[in-house]
This record gives sequence, structure tokens and C-alpha cells, in this order.
Amino acid sequence: MIATRERGRSRLRQELPREAEPPRLLGSLARWLWLGVGVLALLLFFSLAGDDWFTIINYCLIAAIATLALNLLSGYTGQISLGLAFFMGLGGYTAAFLGGNPPQGALDPWGLGLPVFIWLPAAGLVAALVGALIGPSALRLRGFYLGIVTLALVFIGNYLFRNLSFITGGPQGRNFPVPAFGGFSLDQQNSILGIALTSGQQYFLLILVILLLSALFVYNLSRSRVGRAMRAVRDHEVGAAIMGVNLFEVKMGAFVLSSFLAGVAGALYVSYARYVIPDYWSLSLSIQFVAAIIIGGIADVWGSILGAAFVFALPQVIDYFSLLPPSTGGGGLSSGDLNALLYGLLIIVFLLFEPGGVIGLVRRLRPGRPRLQAAGASAAGAGADAATLKEGGESIEVVDLQQRASGPDEEQGRRRTGAS
Amino acid sequence: MAYFLQLVFAGVAQGCIYALIGLGFSIIFKASQVINFAQGELLLVGTYVVASAVLNWHLPFLLALPLGLLVTILIGLLFERLVLRRMIGRPPFTVLMITIGLDIILRTLVVVGWGSRTIPAATPFTVTSGFNVAGVHLGSSDLWTIGVTIVLCAALYYFFRRTRYGLAMRATALDQEAALAMGIDVRTVYALAWGLAAAITTLGGVLLAIDSLAIDPNFGNAALVAFPAIILGGLDSVSGAVVGGVIIGLTSVLTAGYESRLPAVVGTGLHEVTPYLIMILILLIRPYGLFGSRKVERV
Amino acid sequence: MSERPNYSTLPGHNHQLKANEPLLRVEQLSVRFAGVRALSEVSFTVWPGELFAVIGPNGAGKTSLFNVLSRVYQPEAGRVTFAGQELLRLKPHQVARAGIARTFQNMGQFPTMTVLDYLLLGRHTRMHSGILRAGLFIGPTRREEWENRTYCLHILDLLNMKEVRDRPLGSLPYGLQKRADLARALAMEPRLLLLDEPVAGMSLEETEEIAAIILEIKEQLGITQILVEHDMALVMGLADRVLVLDFGRVIAEGRPAEVQANPAVIKAYLGEESEQLPAPADDLPAVSEN
Repeated sequence: MIATRERGRSRLRQELPREAEPPRLLGSLARWLWLGVGVLALLLFFSLAGDDWFTIINYCLIAAIATLALNLLSGYTGQISLGLAFFMGLGGYTAAFLGGNPPQGALDPWGLGLPVFIWLPAAGLVAALVGALIGPSALRLRGFYLGIVTLALVFIGNYLFRNLSFITGGPQGRNFPVPAFGGFSLDQQNSILGIALTSGQQYFLLILVILLLSALFVYNLSRSRVGRAMRAVRDHEVGAAIMGVNLFEVKMGAFVLSSFLAGVAGALYVSYARYVIPDYWSLSLSIQFVAAIIIGGIADVWGSILGAAFVFALPQVIDYFSLLPPSTGGGGLSSGDLNALLYGLLIIVFLLFEPGGVIGLVRRLRPGRPRLQAAGASAAGAGADAATLKEGGESIEVVDLQQRASGPDEEQGRRRTGAS
Repeated sequence: MAYFLQLVFAGVAQGCIYALIGLGFSIIFKASQVINFAQGELLLVGTYVVASAVLNWHLPFLLALPLGLLVTILIGLLFERLVLRRMIGRPPFTVLMITIGLDIILRTLVVVGWGSRTIPAATPFTVTSGFNVAGVHLGSSDLWTIGVTIVLCAALYYFFRRTRYGLAMRATALDQEAALAMGIDVRTVYALAWGLAAAITTLGGVLLAIDSLAIDPNFGNAALVAFPAIILGGLDSVSGAVVGGVIIGLTSVLTAGYESRLPAVVGTGLHEVTPYLIMILILLIRPYGLFGSRKVERV
Repeated sequence: MSERPNYSTLPGHNHQLKANEPLLRVEQLSVRFAGVRALSEVSFTVWPGELFAVIGPNGAGKTSLFNVLSRVYQPEAGRVTFAGQELLRLKPHQVARAGIARTFQNMGQFPTMTVLDYLLLGRHTRMHSGILRAGLFIGPTRREEWENRTYCLHILDLLNMKEVRDRPLGSLPYGLQKRADLARALAMEPRLLLLDEPVAGMSLEETEEIAAIILEIKEQLGITQILVEHDMALVMGLADRVLVLDFGRVIAEGRPAEVQANPAVIKAYLGEESEQLPAPADDLPAVSEN
């Protein structure tokens, strides 16, 4: 198999010039080194960390999948969405329904007891399907309007989740059983290939594999025809359409795929928490993901992961070291509050001074990459504010005086002057 | 019938509150094409300050109210001055995100300062005050709400049509570059918009708090219900915000009033989402709101 | 450019010239724009292989015309036929697919995109990988990517831009940005190329380079071009035929020399600004600052 692929590649190389070869994932020594460092770090973490650490990291990895979903839609494609929590909830309840126990009591309403390899993809598919149904009308709207409609989804979803109690268990929520297939259950010690693994370690492996697959998928997308079209749509819709990009197709693609990933993340979350209530899927959850992509880095896979770590793992780490008193509801600074203050402040600071987020900062300061000389571009009055350009790190700082989001638009085909 | 009229009255009163909050959004949007996501948290801070002033510091309500307004106006002006002024010319998406940052900070500060428990709201009225007409109870707070909204709208109308700064704001909204060229100080206009919006929104919030008797850190979400109101009216239409607000208030209160008579399938809490459902419905038919205007793009 | 670049090496660009059938026919086109008439009953025909120029004072409706052809503006009345197809039935992205490429008057829409990515974006309609295949990035997708990168690098080579292939557009001098835009339009393999003020804001040297490229496109690739331009020397030197618009109306049409001598044209230009007087053909340097 590998041999034929290699042969195929070398055949391509004979036909097509080397200089035009698309960059390979592990095309440089530096990337191999980074991979090595990453694997080593994971192995160290895996063998040394205690259960508490696995809990923190597992939630963080789940959040990273959802952050990736939002970055795909908002970061790469430029469609503002505050509805991520809604799609996560859809995935979560789909998983709970398909994987849940048969009816037993208030906390165990309907459930089909299906195994994980059915409910996990199904959670993504159901969320994607709902996304596909909502998309055509939502994506006609632009900018703020889309943001506000997706915000409405969160509230409508919350209403549905509270009232469809035969699936969701109502406001009190419902249990989610241990993911198991046959005699193999994720909540107990299992031995895989002769190594005894704790529950946290097994979850870690499962979530890590899904995150890596999602990240690879999004990365590949971003460097392909579809990814270029997405960025073009984000930067200038009319310009993209003139170049032959079907705006609707591209936005729908991003919306549906984003919903799929959010659904999967929601299912993993429910499964790991073993319990789900409607209040999980709140507006503030959506906003946390917005914070994550801004702080981590817009339109960047690593940025998504870093952002998720910052927003979702940091408060737990602070708690773990008992740096601050736990929240009592009576005021005073708790770790969650400190973190919220910090990321609220960081959103402002990053947008003001480093629109590429943490990853933009890292990429810019990386040695061996000379800083971009942007002189001359703005002098010609091109309208591009070249000073905001940061090489490598992509940013949403697309200065465009001609396409202010002034309101939603109908389909590209019918509009403008004819209507007046 | 009396029940229905009672609901209509309450709905109009609540609609006026959404209209006030919606006006806050519209004024800022009109002046600077920015949706201020932190509007709800300005309102939150304002109501907490007023509540504290009355309940803890024992100030009379009529002194506490200007204090609350002053605090939020200051926050609005500071934010405009220190942050937004550096964002002029940046894409609206980015500016929306930056107001989300302010939103998070303000909300967290309220939790840190006052705690996450529910506290009573400050009110100058007793619950039962007011009078009855044909079996309909016209509560003082609701009457005041409606009155204040009417007076404010008239004042705003005068301000935008007749005063120098009002006209400057409208000119800036129409064409920022042209306004600059005509010697209008766009920065003053932005600052004015933020101060005005903060004050009007906070007033709406205080009136809403009087209506709901108690506040907690989620109180700012009330501003999110004003979103459907301004979307209905069209983001850039000030009078549209008022009409949208009243529509939203009426439907929301009427749904709440008749919810128990609806079939069990609809469950509970429908009135919390009717504004959003109506908004989505309207946007399906008219993607730019009832009164909103479309703009022409150039290439 | 010391050596004459060989554009005919570009695969895909061998359009059969059928001179007896018009490529683009615009009939009685009217555009109303917030109450103002931007175009009134404009009619003209462009033949295959032709370099057709549209000129006129500021606000004459030149860009509105392009916006109709790219389906950004919806005309009030009129008919546009492109290669036998009703153009006004297409959506903007289908226009590109049908074979019309357009350069932008102002750059700055895609400042973070690298030059090579920008050209690849131009290849959008010529590539096929959908979301699933792109996400997996194996086999056919990789091959497609490689082939199209080869194609784009070839264009960059012809336009002497290969060394900036990985620079973000926004970091380039304005002239290079506009040239990259022209390269991107070429990458679309168009049958009709709409050039929206290709030399606006360029130095004399840059203008001459672009003029040379435009001529090569016409002579070697046989791509039909419509040129909207203020630079009168450029238009008169390059165009086969010229259409003059004033206040949205056609006031003259014909060969450059005929148009230059037309009293209505002279009046329209004198009425506006004297510096935009149609320059005599031998007075090349004087007009190209803009």
C-alpha cells in the first residue's frame, strides 16, 4: 500500500515540476522535530499525570474540537456565529438518546442503548442535518444579522431542550451511561495491548484521536480549493463571487461541517460528564468559544487548540493548585471569575494589538522568519492597511472600506438597483 | 376581555422597555455601524449601582438613578475613548468581538463585586400603586415606563432633527467620510452616541428592574431580547426600534398570559422565545427587517 | 521585459476565433441607481479576439457597465448575450464559469492571501475538489492541487512575478498587486477579460509593462478584452475599437482615430477637466499620471 503510494508520488514528480508541489504535512525537518517533541510530551503526560489532570485535559481537548468548529465557520469563512452551543447541545442529546439506557426513571428517559461507534457519528450527523436545514435561510443574512439569528438559536434550543423531556429529561437533565461496547466499558480499568489503562486515559485516547482527525481535516481544507474560497468569502464576498466562488455553496459547506464538529464535541462532552442539563448549552458557552478563537488565533488550527486550552483549561488548573477560593455566590474573586476577566481583557488586547491571536504572536516572533516589509503598499492608496498584516498568522484585519456589513443581502443574483 | 386588555397594557409597557434598550443599540449602530454587544452589561452595571445606592447606601431613588446613569455613561465614554477610537476603520466583525470582551469583563465584575445571588431591585413605587380603569389595573411603574418612553422619543426626535449635534450624528451615519469633509468631528459624534446609548439603555434597565422586582447577574440578558426588536425595526432605524420593541413586548406578554391555555405540547417558557421566533419569521420574509434599508456595494 | 514571453505555452488558452459571430452583445441596457440613471439604452457588440475599450469622463457609467456584466448590478432593462448565452440569467459565480474574468479597479480585497494562493483562487472554477475530498487531501486532490500550482507558477513566470509567489498581496507595492490581479484573471482561462482601469495609479514604466502584457494576451492568447481606462494614451494606442460614454449614454463608437476626432467626444471631455483631454497619440508620457 505504502509502496504504491510512493510510486504514485514519484510519478507525479516526474510529470510536474518540483517547485509546484503542494507543501507536505511533514515536509521539513523542523516539522518532524515538532512531531517528535509532541509525541514525547504526550507520552510523558500519559504515563505521569494523575486522574485530575486527565479530567482537565480531556475537557480541554473536547473544547478544542468545538473551537475548531467555530474557527472554521467564523475564522476561515467569516460568518459570525453565536450558535455553537446549540449545535453542541443537539449532538449531546442525540448521543444521550441513542446511547442512553432504556427508560428507567426521571433521569433516564428514552434511550436506545446503542454503542459509541453509532452515537458518536450520529451526533455529528444530526447536528449537521439541522445545520443544513437552517443554513439556507440563515446564510442569506450577513454580518450582525447572522450573529443575532444564531444567538436566537441558542435560546430556542434551550426552550426545546427543557420541554422535550422524553429525550432530554427536562430542566433536571438526564444521565448518560458509560460508553461501552460489549464487555468493554470506558469507566473501568481496561488493558489494551497488555497495558492497563485508567478510565481517564482511555477517554484521553479516544478524544485525542478525534481531535487529531478533525484538526487534520480542517488543516487540509484550509490549504485546498475550498479553503481558499472560504477565505475569499470572508475577505470580500462580491470579489469572491466574481472569481467564480459560489457563495452559498461555500458558506453552507462551512456551516454544515462546523455543525458536525460541534455535534461531535457536544456528544463527547455529555459522554465524559455522564450527565446533561439544558443549561450547559448557554449563550455564555458560545461566547467562550468566540473568546477562544480570538485569543488562540483566527483561521488557524493550532490557534484553535491554544485558545481552547486558555479558556477552558486555565480555570481548572488554577483550581487544581487551589490558588483562589472556590466560588460561593457571595462575591469575591474565584478562579472562574479571574479567568473570565482575563479572557475578556485579552479579547480586547489581542484585537487591538495582535489580531492574529497567540498563534499570530508566536509565528511572528519565530526565529528565521524575517519580519515583513510592508512599505509601499499603503502609500499607493490601495485601501489595504498593510500595517495590520502579519506574515504567517492570518488575521481578520481585512480593511475594506467598500464592503461594510451594512445589512443582510438577498441572493447575489437578484438585488441592488433593480429593486428600487 | 379585561384580562386581554390587562395583558396588552403590560405588553406595551414591556415593549417600551425593549424599545429603550433597542434605541441604545440603534443609536450606536447608526453612528458607527457597530453592534454593541456589551449593551446588556452596561444596563446590568447601571441597575446594580442604583439598587446598591438605594438599599445599601440609603440614597433616595431620584438621586440613585442619576448616579447609575452617570456610572454607565462613564463606562461607555471610557470604552469608546480607550478602545473603540483605535478601531475606527476596522471591520465590523472585529468591533463586535471587542464589545464581547467588554461584555465579559463587566459581567464578571458584577459577579465579583455583588455576588451571583439574586438581590431586590430599587423601586420608587409600591407593587399595588396605580389605579383601575374598567377592570384593568394600570400600575404606576408601567405608566411611568410608557410616559418616560414617549417623552424620551420626543426628545430624541427633536435632538436628531433640530440640534447641531443631532444633525451631525445623522450626517455621520449617512456618510462618515463626507461628514469628516464637512468639518464634523466624528469622534465627538461617536462619544456622544455612546454616552447617549448608555444612558437610555440603563434607564430601560432600571425600569425593567422595577417591573421584575429583583435582579441577578443574568439580568443583562434582557438586552438580548431587544435584539429581535431592533432586527424587526431594521438595525439603522430609530423609530423602527420603538415599533419593533412594542411588537416584541406585546407578543411576549400575550404568550406568557395565555401559555397555560395552550396545548401541553408547547411546554413552558414559550414566551421567552417568541421574540426570537418572530424575528426569524420576519427575517425569512424581509431579510433586512421591517424598516431597514439596504445599501449598495461597489466593487 | 527583454525577451518576448511565450504566452502560447499556456494550456487551455486556445480559443478558436469565429469572427462572424459576436462574443458579447449588449442591447438597450439601462441601469438606474438610487434614482439616478447610470446607463441609458447602451448597445454595443464585441467580436472575438477584439480589444474593445470603453472610455468616458468620471461617472459616465463605465464601472456600472462592468458591474452589470459581472452580475453585481441588476439592470432595469436590456439584454446581454455572451457566447450565445443569456448573461442576465446567470448568477455572479456562474459568469466566471461561463468564461468572463474581471480585474478589480482597486486592490485590497484580499490582503492576507499570498500571490500564489490568489492565482489558485482564480483557478476555482477550473478545479473540482469538494469539501470531503479537500479535507482528506489524498490522491486526486493532491494531484489537482499540484497541476494547478504548476499552471499558476507558469503564469507568474510569464508575468515576471515568480519571486513574490509567497508574499501576501497586501505587502506588495500597488503596481505589483494590480499585476497579480491580472495574473489571477488570466488563471481563470477566460474567453472575455474585463480590465477595470488596469494602469490606474501606476508609474509610466509599470504602465508600459501592463500595456505590453495586454497586447500579448490579445495577440498570443486571442482572448477578447474589454478595457475601461482613464489613460487615454493607453486606450488610443491599444484598442481596436472604442466606445465613449457620457452620463450613461453612448456618444461615440469607432476606431480610436475616428473617436478622437468626434466633436461630441471632445465636448464631453472639455466639459469636465482639461487634463483628461484625449491626448494626441505621440504625446505618451503626459497623460499617464493619475
